[in-house]
Amino acid sequence: MCQLSSDAMIQFQHVFKSYGRGRNILADINFDVAAGEFVFVSGPSGAGKSTLLKLIGGLELPSRGSVQVNGQRLEKMTARARPYLRRAVGVILQDTHLLFDRTAIANVTLPLTVTGHSHAQAQARARAALDKVGLAGREQANPIELSGGEQQRLAIARAIVNRPAILIVDEPTANLDHDTATRIMNVFRDFNQVGVTTLIASHDQALMAQYATRTLRIDEGRFSDVPGVELA
Amino acid sequence: MNALLRQHRYAFFVTLRRLAAHPFSSLANIMVMAMALALPLLGGAILLSVQPVTKQVSVTPELTVFLNVEAPAQAAPAIAQRIESEHGQAVEDVRVIRRDEALAQLRNNPAWSDALAVLPGNPLPDAVVARMAAGDDLAARAAQLAAGMQTWEHVDRVQLDSDWVQRLEALLRFARIGLIFLGLCVAVVVLATVFNTVRMQALAQREEIAVARLVGATESFVRRPFLYLGAVSGALSGLAAIGVAALLLVPLNAALLGLAQSYGAEFALRLPPAFILVLAVLIAAALGAASARWSVTRNTRF
Repeated sequence: MCQLSSDAMIQFQHVFKSYGRGRNILADINFDVAAGEFVFVSGPSGAGKSTLLKLIGGLELPSRGSVQVNGQRLEKMTARARPYLRRAVGVILQDTHLLFDRTAIANVTLPLTVTGHSHAQAQARARAALDKVGLAGREQANPIELSGGEQQRLAIARAIVNRPAILIVDEPTANLDHDTATRIMNVFRDFNQVGVTTLIASHDQALMAQYATRTLRIDEGRFSDVPGVELA
Repeated sequence: MNALLRQHRYAFFVTLRRLAAHPFSSLANIMVMAMALALPLLGGAILLSVQPVTKQVSVTPELTVFLNVEAPAQAAPAIAQRIESEHGQAVEDVRVIRRDEALAQLRNNPAWSDALAVLPGNPLPDAVVARMAAGDDLAARAAQLAAGMQTWEHVDRVQLDSDWVQRLEALLRFARIGLIFLGLCVAVVVLATVFNTVRMQALAQREEIAVARLVGATESFVRRPFLYLGAVSGALSGLAAIGVAALLLVPLNAALLGLAQSYGAEFALRLPPAFILVLAVLIAAALGAASARWSVTRNTRF
């Protein structure tokens, strides 16, 4: 088994995850991710990639084992403390979960409202985030008016507006054409280059070949390669 | 601190936006609660208006012993003395009202003075008034005493003066208990209405709640707009209930005025004092918030 670094940004130790009495979605997962790493989590559909990301985002709890994120042990955190962890982790799920009853900028300001920023501050930071993902000028658009790629970028803007330490992304380029996918991946790489630890779940081999510095392969809830090994 | 205030302000505006988003259903909910709240307010108005009547009149029974008109002058003091000696512990105070004093009092009343002027003599008897000492089973003891006195020499009639007040007091006690039960029933109506409104809102806002949690919203942040929704709905219902009760008192007072005038009295139903109305609005708001809290906790577990 690999040696786990104690100053890792993300650290999984013998993590199991199952729902009820069902089979293990994740079984004995061990790995760590250092601050500022750019990591792909690959594997076939149903392998447990999304569950792994949800554990990092504090959206799920491990059934067994220890998950440490940004210096905090998830399994030991109270329910009241978990939202504060989520503020340090930008989450972009496969379903973008945009709110279609409000404008693009209102979607992006939501995380700032949650943390109690003033309206002016929230507007300024949301505009900057939209600009960063190439959606400047689309602030007042309803998400329904945006294309699939633009919706994906809007979700990214919402995830990064709170300046998270970690960005976790689930299948960001599914159903997108190559050019749009490349543009979106470049956005993630830009964030990573300024120090944001980034984990991307994907089964797009071409994408991984182009961007991966490290890949964790997962199949049927287990790593099929030794964790922490540089694959690309 | 500023962040917390901003979050409260956000929650309040979200509440107003949600209320305004469905104006008819919001208004219907508020009116249902207002109608229900108006009932105990009206009951309270009736009770509080009637209560002074019973307060003005002593509810402690007074026995008035009317003597025969032909009874000798020394009979009244003798009866007063007998009451004090035989029932000293049961009575608090005994006084004699001479027939001449009674007539003089009546003559001072303009309503009676003309009628008395045409009478050849004084038709009134001497009387002895005994005020009962407070204690258990007062009404029964007074009735027993009155029955005993009725057989005494020179006594024409013994009247238990406060019978009707006692009955009214008992009636008001009954009404007060009824009002408490009515209040409890109305509280249940408010709780149920707000619970259901918040449940529907929570289901409608499911996606927004999920996204808020995703970006790090605490459960307090998620619940707060719903708590405001309950409190605002409760407070608005309370205010509307005061308006409804005030409107309903207008025709009631118009009808009551005729009845009161036929007795030569002035009587009108009034809403309870301002501090009770403010308290009613605050209680409705607190009930709304409590119900909303219960509902949102139960209906946002996803």
